Order: sequence, then C-alpha cells, then structure tokens
Amino acid sequence: MAAEGLSLAGIGKTFRGRGRTVEALREVSLTCPAGSFTALIGPSGCGKSTVMRIALGLEAPDTGTARIAGMAPAEAARSGLTGVAFQDAALLPWRSVMRNVEAPLEVLGRKRDAHTARVRALIDLVGLTGYENSLPGELSGGMRQRVAIARALVTEPQVLFMDEPFGALDQILRRQMNVELQRVWAETGSTALLVTHGIDEAVFLADRVLVMQANPGRIVEAIEVPFARPRAPSLWSDPAFHALCDRIAEALTGGAVDA
Amino acid sequence: MAALPGERASAGRIPPGLRNLVILLLLWEVVGHFGLVAQGALPSPTAILERLWIDRADYPRHIEATLIGSSLGFLFGNLIGVGAGIVFALSPRMLRLFRGVNVAIFSLPAIAIAPILTLTLTGMEPRVVLATLGVYFVTMTATVVGISQADSRATDMVRAYGGGRVKVLTMVQLRGALPSILSGFRIAAPNAVLGAILAEFGGGGDRWGLGVYLLGSLGQGMPTRLWGIGLVATAIAGLSYLAFALIARRFVGATRAVTLNAAVPGGDATDEPLASRLLFAAGSLALPFCFWWLFIWGTGAPWLIAKTPLGVADYLFFSPASASAQARLLHALGQTLPVTGIGMLVGLAFAFLLAISSRLFPEAVRAFMPVALVTQTMPLVALTPLLVLILGRGTSLTLWVTISVTFFPAFVTLAQGLALVPRSAVELPRAYGAGVWREMRMVTIPASLPYLFAATRLTVPRALLGVMIAEWLATGTGLGNLLNQSRGYLDYGMIWTVAAVAVLVSAACYQIVVLAERRVLRRLGMRTAE
Ligand SMILES: Nc1ncnc2c1ncn2[C@@H]1O[C@H](COP(=O)(O)OP(=O)(O)OP(=O)(O)O)[C@@H](O)[C@H]1O
Ligand SMILES: [Mg+2]
Repeated sequence: MAAEGLSLAGIGKTFRGRGRTVEALREVSLTCPAGSFTALIGPSGCGKSTVMRIALGLEAPDTGTARIAGMAPAEAARSGLTGVAFQDAALLPWRSVMRNVEAPLEVLGRKRDAHTARVRALIDLVGLTGYENSLPGELSGGMRQRVAIARALVTEPQVLFMDEPFGALDQILRRQMNVELQRVWAETGSTALLVTHGIDEAVFLADRVLVMQANPGRIVEAIEVPFARPRAPSLWSDPAFHALCDRIAEALTGGAVDA
Repeated sequence: MAALPGERASAGRIPPGLRNLVILLLLWEVVGHFGLVAQGALPSPTAILERLWIDRADYPRHIEATLIGSSLGFLFGNLIGVGAGIVFALSPRMLRLFRGVNVAIFSLPAIAIAPILTLTLTGMEPRVVLATLGVYFVTMTATVVGISQADSRATDMVRAYGGGRVKVLTMVQLRGALPSILSGFRIAAPNAVLGAILAEFGGGGDRWGLGVYLLGSLGQGMPTRLWGIGLVATAIAGLSYLAFALIARRFVGATRAVTLNAAVPGGDATDEPLASRLLFAAGSLALPFCFWWLFIWGTGAPWLIAKTPLGVADYLFFSPASASAQARLLHALGQTLPVTGIGMLVGLAFAFLLAISSRLFPEAVRAFMPVALVTQTMPLVALTPLLVLILGRGTSLTLWVTISVTFFPAFVTLAQGLALVPRSAVELPRAYGAGVWREMRMVTIPASLPYLFAATRLTVPRALLGVMIAEWLATGTGLGNLLNQSRGYLDYGMIWTVAAVAVLVSAACYQIVVLAERRVLRRLGMRTAE
C-alpha cells in the first residue's frame, strides 16, 4: 500500500470568479515514490499552492485524479497519513504554541497526553523552547512559520506537504532548518513534497526538482539531484551543487522567455 | 469599551472619561437646580436621587417583574439565537429558507406587536416573547457572522487533517465566533430589557414592571420620578451590557487575526438551478406567514381578536370599512416614513464618524465613551418620556429619539469591525510613511465598509421603532399613534394591519440595503458581514 507515496495524474484546474478565469493548472502529472523528497519550484502565481491544495483534497480538480498512498486525498487525510505546513502559518490565534502544535492530533481524535513529550521535542527542534505558552500574535513571522513546521511533523506523517515553510526565515536559520528537516525526513522515511522559491533549498533537500511555469500552470522540467545522503552543510559550497542550481535557474528563466 | 484599542488609562491620572462624566454631572446639577431647561423638565441629579429615595419602596417589585421578563427572554433568545446561528452557518440553504422569518423577526418594531401580544397572551408571556424576539436576532446574526468569518486558512488546516464539519465548527469556527457572539450578547442584553418594558407598555393590566410604573407616572407632572425610573431602567440595561462587555474583553484581544484573510467569497446560490432558487425564495416568503398562522393557532385566540393574514387582507381591502382604513393607514405612513429616513441617516452618519475617529482621535473618543455608553444603553422607552419633557411633543422629539436609537447599534457594530482590522493591514501603509488620513482611506474605511452595511441593516427597523414609540407616547401622529388609537377603539383589524405593514415596510427597506450591499461588496471582493 505504501509503495506509492503521492501521485497526481492529468490535473487541470481553472478558477472562475469576478469576470475573470484563471487556468491555474493544465495537465499536471507527478509521481513521488514512497520515501522520496520532491521539490516544486516556479514563479509566483504558477499554481504551486494549488497543486498542493489539490493533493491534500482541499480543492477539487476539474480534471485528473490525485492519490495518496493509493487512497483518495480526503481518505488519506482522515487516516492521519498526511502532514501539512501552509504558506502562511494558519495558526489558531487563540491557542498557545503548544496547543497549536497539538491541533492536528485533536482533529484526528488522538490523545494529546500521550504525545506531550513529542510535542515538546518538536517545539525544541524548531527552536521555540520557552515559547510554549505564547500566543501566535506574540510571535514574529518566522517564529509562526516554525510553529507551523512543528505542527506539520506532529502526526508523524507518511506524506509531508510543505508550502514555502521557510519563507520568512533568515538565511542562516533557514539552512539550519533545512538540515533538521532532512534529518527528520530521513528518520521518518516519509514522502515529502516541498514548494519553495529557494533554488538552493530545493537542490539541498530534494531527490528531484520539478520546475513549473505559469499561464497555464504546468510542469516544464524534472531535474534529478544526484547528491548522496545524508547531505552535509559543506554541500552548499560544492561547485557541482552550484552547477545544478544554475541549471534550475536556467530552466526557470528559460521557460519565461518561451512564454 | 472592549472594542477600542489602548483604552486603559495610565496609572496615577484621572481617566478623561471619568473626568468628563464628573464635569457633565456638575453641569447637570447646576442646570437642573436653576430649572434652566424647559422650565425645570430636567431636574438636578440630587433632586432625582431624593425622589428615588422617597419612592424606594415602590421599586423592588417593579424591577423584579421587568427583570424576570427580560432575563427569561434573554435566556431563550440567546439559546435559540446561538442554536439557529450554528444551523444557519452550517447550512446556507436553511439560512435562505429562514431568511423571510429572520427578516420579519428582525424588522418587527416591537411596539407594533406589543398590543397583539397582550391581546393573545397572558401574564409574563408578552414580556418574555418580546424580550426573546429582541435578543434572538442579534445573537443569531452575531453567531452566523462569527462562524462564517472564520479564517479560511485555519479551517483549511483542520480539513487538511481530514476534519469534517463538526471538527471545523468546534476547533475553529465556534471559538473564532466567540468575540462576535459575546458582542451580540452585550447588544442583546439592553434589548431584552427594552423588549420587556415595551411589552409592559402594551398594557396587559399587569400592575408591576418598570414600564407600567413609567406609563403611570407620565401624567403625574413629576419629572423627578420619570427620571428616576429612566435611570433605574438604564442602570439595569447598562449593567447587563457591562457584564458582557467585560467578558468579551477577555477574548477579543487574543483572537485578533494576525494577517489579513484575503479569500474571495464564494457565490452562494448562483450554481443552483433556477427552479430550486425560486422554490427557496417562495418558501422563505411563505414561512413568516406560516408562523403567523401557527402563532394564532397555538394561542387559540378567537378569530375576532386574532387576525390571520387573510383576515388582515379582508379588513384592508374587502370589508365595508376598508376605504377609511386605507385612508388612515396611508396618512399615518406619510407622517412616519420621512422622519424615519432622516433620523436613520443622521444616526448612522454620527456612528460612522465617531467609529472612524476612534482611529484619528483615540483620546477624544475614549473620553466621550462613558457618556455615550450611559446614554446609549438606555432602553429607549425610558428615554422617550424624558425627551418629551425636554423637547415637547413635536417632530424634533421624534427625530432625536430616532437618531439615538440608531446610533448605538451602529456604533458598536462599526467599532467592533474596526477593532478586527488586522494589525498588518494597518501597519502596511504606516510602514510606507502614510499619515493617519491616508491610512484611514486605504485601510480603515474600506475595512469598515462591510460593517457600515451591517450597521445600516441593523438600524432600519430600529429607526422605525424609535419613531413609532415617540408617536405612540407623545406626538399623536403617524403609525404609532394609529396603533395606540386602534387599541383604544378595540379596532383589532387595524392593530394587526399596522403591525403587518410596519414589518413589511421595514423588511422592504432592509432588503434594499442588502441588495446595495451585495453589489458594492462583491465588486470590492469583500465578504458581507451577514
Ligand atoms: N481560490 C482562488 N480563486 C481564484 N483564483 C485563484 C484561487 N486560488 C488561486 N488562484 C489563482 O491561481 C493561480 C495560482 O495560484 P497559487 O496560489 O497556486 O500560486 P503559487 O504558485 O502558490 O504562487 P506563490 O508562489 O505566490 O505562492 C494564481 O493566478 C491565482 O490567482
Ligand atoms: Mg503559493
């Protein structure tokens, strides 16, 4: 059953509203084998978040199908297979950091008490020890994002979705979090889909980088990342790493010239 | 007030609000002492207190009767209101089906049905019913608004983990709706007192109740007693308001969203086939009349007293007296409607300006606040006889009553709306060096627009109520007077007709506001504050 992580086939989605139609996605197909790490990169508004929302079952595609571990997205979500960190943290403003991290457990009807140690460990992992009882309004944007990351990991998901989870972090913290994320991902053996604007982040973390273009949103190139795991911070200064980054940058801009 | 930012006074200084209140009281004392206003119609506070002390033996039973009626109404109204609000928020179809009933309940100028209730019910029942009706709509609306304005990103999070409607409701929507519901409670609390007193005005032969006491004292030429009763009624309403304001304050601070939710509202019924849409519209129109019938059937009142919709149509169009009835009705409408419109506009404008300026001159508004609160939590009926003393029985009385009854709910609605403007949205223009005016134009005013519309919707029937109360008690013109007269002549047909017409007129005005609101907000990509 878990042989297949995530698969989207022939996804199309058009938004209609207020006298305008946007073809957000056309014929998007992707397969993430179980345990793989896939990065999705593309210009703003090309439909990355929409891909993720469809894979999560939050949005129904006009055409095509989405499967998570062989199940329909909604079913997979109910079984607790998925974890998600949204582009904007989407924390519940009236809940403390601790209770926000616990929220998915509550949705899934799991006992919170049994996971207290894990929740604390996750809060520690994202560097928020001491802020357990703070409200989201009292945190900085980056801190809120880190809460969202901890929350995404709390259910030990088989399939982990992340929509620019590190967007509001500084470069140094971002790289620290990248290393941590790689570790957690390797430990749990989950399938990960990461939406990002950071080319180096995508290359550092992913087995495969999918490059998207807009109007209509589509995947234009899939680039394999060959570096051995676990990847060490030294990779960031490796010339081969930079060569690959340049290739992806080219795919990003090249597509724009075509369009 | 809980909705205003940074109102806590710095320690060691007298809060300007308190200071102004003291100044006002002193001024009042001087004015009253020398009988400077309308030949002593405004007695001094000490004279009023003296009278209160003399009358002290009368009060407990009057207060008790009014309190029991309004508390029961408050309880029932809130239970039904929150319950119905949840159902409506979860099922837009139910909301559409019950729209007619909701609009009708909301549009009921309570005074218009007070005679009907005292005709068909007994004892405490008219008070409880009228208080319940006054509370229900406020709470129901607050619940629906609160739930439907829940942050769609937070609901997405719950749904992403497979959470269904119930989980979304309990984890996100109800908790997110709490400030809104609490704010509903605090508006509803004075409404319950007002409803109970209005029912007492309808005259059921009951001896006890502040309304009965007030009505009995109206002809005694004793301004001090009238003011005393008014102050007691105000104190009850004001205290109940304050209690819920304090509770609300505990929650509002923590639930302020941190970033702006920019989700475009989804079309409500546009995807449905025309036939089903028409069916719902028809059902929604028919349902209030069904309730009307059900009410008569439930009370078992005789057909001579209790007019069904058909009975009213018969009275107005097919009976021998119909020509005279129509003439009197049209004449009354011609007197009532223009004043209502003007009073409403002025009240709204005043509320809007004050709410907006809480951003510009927080100090001044804060200082004005206690005064505004005291005068505005006054149940209006208590206010009207006092205004009669001061303003006489002319049109200016009607106008002032209308303005003040419009102002309060509009201001609360707007102030709450502005308090909910996300911090980041306010800070964005400021970050670019925008002055406070530009920030108002870019953020505060547009953000307050849904609430301005909501306030307008809220005040349409209140304006009509204010006018009718003034007409009933004092001016001897218009619909209110027609109702009071018909009560005296036992003209049951006219009593039901005026009630129905008053509801229909305010429902129609309400509908016009809603249509305008939909168009404007849709164009701006905003959500209606339903
Ligand atoms: N609910 C919606 N209604 C209408 N249009 C939408 C909706 N959601 C997304 N879109 C449109 O679909 C397109 C893709 O949006 P999406 O949020 O997926 O972009 P994105 O790639 O995640 O961009 P970013 O990198 O800026 O987050 C955009 O043009 C957007 O305007
Ligand atoms: Mg996005």
